Amino acid sequence: MKMKKFINDPENLTPELLEGFAAAHSDLVTLGDQRMIINNKLADADRVTIVTQGGSGHEPAISGFVGEGMVDISVVGDVFAAPGPQACVDAIKLADKGKGVLYIVLNHAGDMLTGNMTMKKCAKEGLNVVKVVTQEDIANAPRSNSDDRRGLVGCIPTYKIAGAAAAEGKSLEEVAAIAQRFADNMATLAVAVRGATHPATGSLLAELGDDEMEIGMGQHGEEGGGRQPMKTADETAEIMLNALINDLDIKSGEKVMLILNGSGATTLMELFIIYRKCVSYLKEKNIEIAANYVGELLTVQEQAGFQMFMARMDDELLHYWNAPCNTPYMKR
Amino acid sequence: MLLFKPEIIRMLQGVADIWAEHKDELSQIDSRFGDGDHGVTIGKIAARIRQNLEGWQDDDVETFLEDLGDDIMAIGGGSAGPLYGTMIGGLAGGLAGAAPEGGLDAGAVKKMFAASLEAMEDITTAKVGDKTMMDALIPAVEAAAQAEGDIPEVLQAAMEAAAQGAKKSEEFVSKFGRARSYKEQTIGTPDAGAVSTSLFFQGLWEGLKERG
Repeated sequence: MKMKKFINDPENLTPELLEGFAAAHSDLVTLGDQRMIINNKLADADRVTIVTQGGSGHEPAISGFVGEGMVDISVVGDVFAAPGPQACVDAIKLADKGKGVLYIVLNHAGDMLTGNMTMKKCAKEGLNVVKVVTQEDIANAPRSNSDDRRGLVGCIPTYKIAGAAAAEGKSLEEVAAIAQRFADNMATLAVAVRGATHPATGSLLAELGDDEMEIGMGQHGEEGGGRQPMKTADETAEIMLNALINDLDIKSGEKVMLILNGSGATTLMELFIIYRKCVSYLKEKNIEIAANYVGELLTVQEQAGFQMFMARMDDELLHYWNAPCNTPYMKR
Repeated sequence: MLLFKPEIIRMLQGVADIWAEHKDELSQIDSRFGDGDHGVTIGKIAARIRQNLEGWQDDDVETFLEDLGDDIMAIGGGSAGPLYGTMIGGLAGGLAGAAPEGGLDAGAVKKMFAASLEAMEDITTAKVGDKTMMDALIPAVEAAAQAEGDIPEVLQAAMEAAAQGAKKSEEFVSKFGRARSYKEQTIGTPDAGAVSTSLFFQGLWEGLKERG
């Protein structure tokens, strides 16, 4: 089957998308060397700064959240592929305004390899940087083995929380501790009903039958083990909510953040229908949705499905989530 | 025999050629349980090797390999860039203190392979049986270390062991990367990285063989 995508030479997908992205949001970000997207306000920053890295093909993630109050530099790799470590080291050097850098990495093999090599190089050069890893996919490993959990949409609220803490002048140790506390209390479960094609190679990332869905699918079409007949919105929401509540051990009376992140080809209509059920179900359980987002933050090309994200919230984390920010795809 | 700059250029050219030739096949293997782009990245690495060889001026072998490794790491094509950058740049570690003007003997080649493996073990915990490029690299380096005879024998031993290792990766269950989610389903398909590593050793051998 021929891939139907509006692209030019597949070799140039990433540079071309970054050029277009930076041009569309030139008031907020600039495209730098080595595929860095840089916050226009970075030059004036007198605070801890935030650097992240990741593959392209997940738009608006990750660069859509570069700007005031979130990420200062994102270092972008090829489609679904990590950038090299030298670009990350250079980004950290560029970002460091004398208060140190928080470096946020999603738990995927390539990203972790680059992340670890970057930290080694930074240590050699005496750079002041702390790494926080987001790993919250409850489908592929138990909480006791969280190093095996993939990083899904949870990186985005982590950027928000860390960016707000940095903007308020917290020290690197404090920003890292806040980001880590949030990251330790988050969980995501994904569901997919149709796979995507890899835009560079045209290969199908996942194949699902006409009446099948898969709970637990990763954000590159990785299997999650929960293949089952298609269910209604309400049934699906309930299965996923229960899994997240159990994983986080959320009790009656607690506050949570709830994000429904569309994978690319699932309509907002569907997401709102799911969200409606989430509201009533959590109300029944006396769990308060104190923060929410419904829409597309991190996509997987035209994969149909969504990621449901839940995090345990307290007043301090809510304060950072609600603090001002101005980025291409998140504003307060 | 001794390896001087012209032989080393031929060997690395051999790697670039064989990788460029097999890139579609590597993507195809990778498409089963990976993103299906391993060949795309390997093609980019092959192009970087060629560019670096063309631009090689006065640097000694050690510096050249180190810079080549750094350049490969920078391609941004996922794990293959940092991994092959480390593996190829790591070869330079075996040359520390060697006199480049004297040429490299079989002992030096063995040291280079050992240093390359050491550099890889520094960044990954993968062992033989985890269905990664280490399935080919570890046996290749071990076979080279034990090989008797001159450089061609050392390279041939490494090439054969790498090929066997890559073939054997078919029997393993993926423990790293995207393919890990597929568990037992990965049995029967070789690891794309083990295959490209096997091609690396084959390329070195074929590059040396082609005397021109």
